Amino acid sequence: MGAKFKTHHPLLLSLGLQSASIIAFQLTLMQLLSIAQWHHFAYMIISVAMLGFGASGTLLALARKWLTARAEWLIPLLMTISGIWMMFAFRLARTEIFRFDIYLLFVDYSQFPILAINYIIYFLPFFTGALAIGMLFIIHTRDIGKYYFSNLLGSGMGGLLALFLFFILTPQQIPPLAGLLSVMAGLLGMGKRFKKMHIALGIAACCMAIFFIARPGTIPVSQYKGIARALNLPDAEVVYRQPHSHGLIEVVSSPALRYAPALSLSYTGQVPVKKHIFVNGDYAGVVPKYKSGQEDHILNYSTQALPWVLGKHDRVLMLNAAEGATLSQIFTKNPLHVDAIIPNAGIIDALREKFSSESADLIAHENLHIHHIEGRNFLASTHLAPFDLILLPLQDAFGGTSGVNALQENYMLTQEAFGSMWQNLSNDGVISISSWIDYPPRTSLKILATLVGTMTEHSPHDPSDHIVAVRSWGTITFMVKKSPFTKGEMANIREFCQTMYFDPLLMPDLEIGERDHFNKLDDGSFFNYIDRIMAFDEAFMEEYTFMIYPAIDDKPYFSQFLKPGTFRELSRTFGADQFPFLELGYLIVLVTLLQSALLAFVFIIMPLLRLKKKSREGKMATVLYFGALGIGYMFVEIILIQRFVLYFGQAVYAISAVISTMLIFSGAGSLVSGRLRPTLNNMTINGLIVAGMLSLYVAFLTSWLQYTIAAPLGVKILISLLIIGIPSFFKGMMFPLGIRHLAGYDIRQVPWAWGINGSFSVVSTSLAMLIAVEAGFRMVLSVAVICYVLASMVWVLHKLVIMKRNNRENIL
Amino acid sequence: MIYRLTCFVMFLLLLAIMGYEVRADDFRRERNNMVRNQIQGRGIRDQATLQAMRSVPRHLYVPAVQRRFAYQDRPLPIGYGQTISQPYIVAYMTEIIQPHSNQKVLEIGTGSGYQAAVLAEIIDQVYTIEIIRPLGEQARIKLEAQYSNAHVMIGDGYHGWEEHAPFDAIVVTAAAEYIPPPLIEQLKEGGRMIIPVGSPFQMQQLMLVEKKKGGEISTRSLMPVRFVPFERDR
Repeated sequence: MGAKFKTHHPLLLSLGLQSASIIAFQLTLMQLLSIAQWHHFAYMIISVAMLGFGASGTLLALARKWLTARAEWLIPLLMTISGIWMMFAFRLARTEIFRFDIYLLFVDYSQFPILAINYIIYFLPFFTGALAIGMLFIIHTRDIGKYYFSNLLGSGMGGLLALFLFFILTPQQIPPLAGLLSVMAGLLGMGKRFKKMHIALGIAACCMAIFFIARPGTIPVSQYKGIARALNLPDAEVVYRQPHSHGLIEVVSSPALRYAPALSLSYTGQVPVKKHIFVNGDYAGVVPKYKSGQEDHILNYSTQALPWVLGKHDRVLMLNAAEGATLSQIFTKNPLHVDAIIPNAGIIDALREKFSSESADLIAHENLHIHHIEGRNFLASTHLAPFDLILLPLQDAFGGTSGVNALQENYMLTQEAFGSMWQNLSNDGVISISSWIDYPPRTSLKILATLVGTMTEHSPHDPSDHIVAVRSWGTITFMVKKSPFTKGEMANIREFCQTMYFDPLLMPDLEIGERDHFNKLDDGSFFNYIDRIMAFDEAFMEEYTFMIYPAIDDKPYFSQFLKPGTFRELSRTFGADQFPFLELGYLIVLVTLLQSALLAFVFIIMPLLRLKKKSREGKMATVLYFGALGIGYMFVEIILIQRFVLYFGQAVYAISAVISTMLIFSGAGSLVSGRLRPTLNNMTINGLIVAGMLSLYVAFLTSWLQYTIAAPLGVKILISLLIIGIPSFFKGMMFPLGIRHLAGYDIRQVPWAWGINGSFSVVSTSLAMLIAVEAGFRMVLSVAVICYVLASMVWVLHKLVIMKRNNRENIL
Repeated sequence: MIYRLTCFVMFLLLLAIMGYEVRADDFRRERNNMVRNQIQGRGIRDQATLQAMRSVPRHLYVPAVQRRFAYQDRPLPIGYGQTISQPYIVAYMTEIIQPHSNQKVLEIGTGSGYQAAVLAEIIDQVYTIEIIRPLGEQARIKLEAQYSNAHVMIGDGYHGWEEHAPFDAIVVTAAAEYIPPPLIEQLKEGGRMIIPVGSPFQMQQLMLVEKKKGGEISTRSLMPVRFVPFERDR
């Protein structure tokens, strides 16, 4: 056994390296494409690229004998090609001729062939890498447990490596390193007779990687992204650039870059020039300028000044305070204590290191306490003194976000989050939130619905006595107060509106005609919507074209406004060709799902045509078993990531914790599975154990995490290991057991099974997101439970069918 | 041989010229259709605006690769993250400022130069400012070749064009997060400013800013311009 393992050793290491390389490349590519375009586009490209796994299974199923006969030199060659292609892929895609822009897809049809070329460019490294892995699995089916362990462990390590590299290298420097890992994997797997070639290839790959790392070049950012537009301005330049795990942080300076969101039309002074901060090319805030003793501030001439109209607030909590301008505005009002929640530590590092001359007085202010965690985790702390004011930054982007954030979880804008804020308010405390006005209205309506929903749940009083809103030409600021608004406060608000040319939108004693004195609307429907939401008219919210129900922790997608049921209505109202301009983000995710489902279907069906004659029966069982495993595993992974983002308060920690724990524990399960015989009993029991554990997730995961959210980090890590690790251990057994079972049954179906598993895994990524958006996390986990129950039963059912048929044939 | 070759080249040239004439006719027909279907069909009634939209060859203001889409009912990319507005928006923005020949109008965001060309067909003096130099220079060449009453400046539109102020109307073609105070100041009392709110790849809303006698400013949200249904479909 020991000797046998020794012969496996270089191959196992080679497999681990290849797996690490693929995951590191995938994560980096996501980052690169998110910077160059935006994250939905990254999903769109990656989903097709990852189907390389499905395609490799198809090819293996079609040409298994030919490929395995040449495995000795072909596997290393494929790994080497994969690695070299990884080094080149992004460089090739950014050349002028292949440069694609997702924003132009629906206005410039010449983008479609370029998109197809991009798919091919990114598909190749995944396909060749996955083909090498698949071949190793098929050749070593008996020892699949060890190989799968190596694959999972390598993938986990690759993910961690990528996250580590994000801190120290620019994203375009990482693909050469990932590629180098793949080339090394190829060299390790080469037979001794290719020794000279080993050395030559290794040296050449190292040189190439060093060259590409030394000359990383630039990332071709879409001309429609915030940073590209800022850089079009006169004398614009990037004055700071730093890679970070939260993304690439860049600061742009130009004498024409100003900041004054929805400035009052009564303002006659100068609009201040500000350096703008971008994360992955998207606007993230401005470098705040503040001098001790400063009293005036440009935001005092916007609706965002509304909470200060009520008077002084001593204890202030600013949530998601990366928008430094609001933070500097707070200090012009002399608060005694300010807690600022800035999850992205990189932005504060930038302000401290590079822009201290502008921001030092603010960042070093003795009354300012900065916290690098998510707001929900901060609010869950047990030792908090009540706040007089809780501020949220201006929501949405100017003119809307085209649904860009539709599938981005946001735990700060759920009803539970506002409930938590409400409980942390002092007796006269206020929550203030502002949003850009969008057309047709949805963001502002959803904010109001959330505020009213929160009040209804947490207070016996009439919400209309506690909610005030003020509207300018561009923004609306909502304010909810724990005690009713006084007459004096309302008089101050009216005076504020009069001076600034704003209009009160909601106020306890609002009179008809007050709402549009300065800023008239084309009709009164918006006011009608507002009034119906104030009455929490569920029938109205149900029938409104867009999703304006409050977001909840189980579906924390505040920016998801599309209702699939209203597609036809929207197309009729606005024209089908205009639909992409409405909520492009959601549409892209749908396209992603459809295209990956279609390709996956092709990859699964193609080998079937060949297997039809040659292979034994049981093909349906193979599809169901390996398909269910692909879906179940990914569904759990995606939901755990989303859940643990809230638990750890840092997306980076959550992703690393979930992915690495799942993969490593699954790997351990896979290794142990080698000691089990792939009998129907073992497979069924194992599947039912997993399904049982996931059922506990469905029932208790939320409450387990909620009870321990305020626990020390060490305790939380231990809890995470238990919650994520134990089911993962059993999940890890299922694939190798299935492969060994199938190998004993019909070896020709093994590569096909590998392809099915890969294809379903990819499809399930976007499918999980869509189910989560529409039906919530619990539903996704419930589907995962069904998948594992199905996987546990499918072979038994198949055996029963065969037995029944045999009996019938015997009788006949 | 040379004679035959010359004849062949002449023949090709003739074909090219005929093709150009045919294409020019096509564009004219497309332009008339555009005015009839997209603009009149949506309720634009101002005769001067309609005539201007019929006269200005929009296809000359879009990049060559986009020319065949010039008269379609949508914005088109012109580079540098900018777009040429949907024809209906251009017409609507022109009509809403109530254009007359003896007016002075400032445009912020020249872009392709198309909006300025439409305004220059009607108004005596059109001043237009573009912040992106390459766009401004291209537009200047096209506009100054056609219109003696269109003046292009490359610079920051924030400051307006003080030496020619006050203006009867200001047309802001690029949406902005704020309305620069100097522009409000350079607007005549009783003057109108039209400005789109929202990104070009979103459903935009037009906003009319009015400076009343005494200097009070009010705004009026107009219809969401991008997706107004055709009147004839109602």
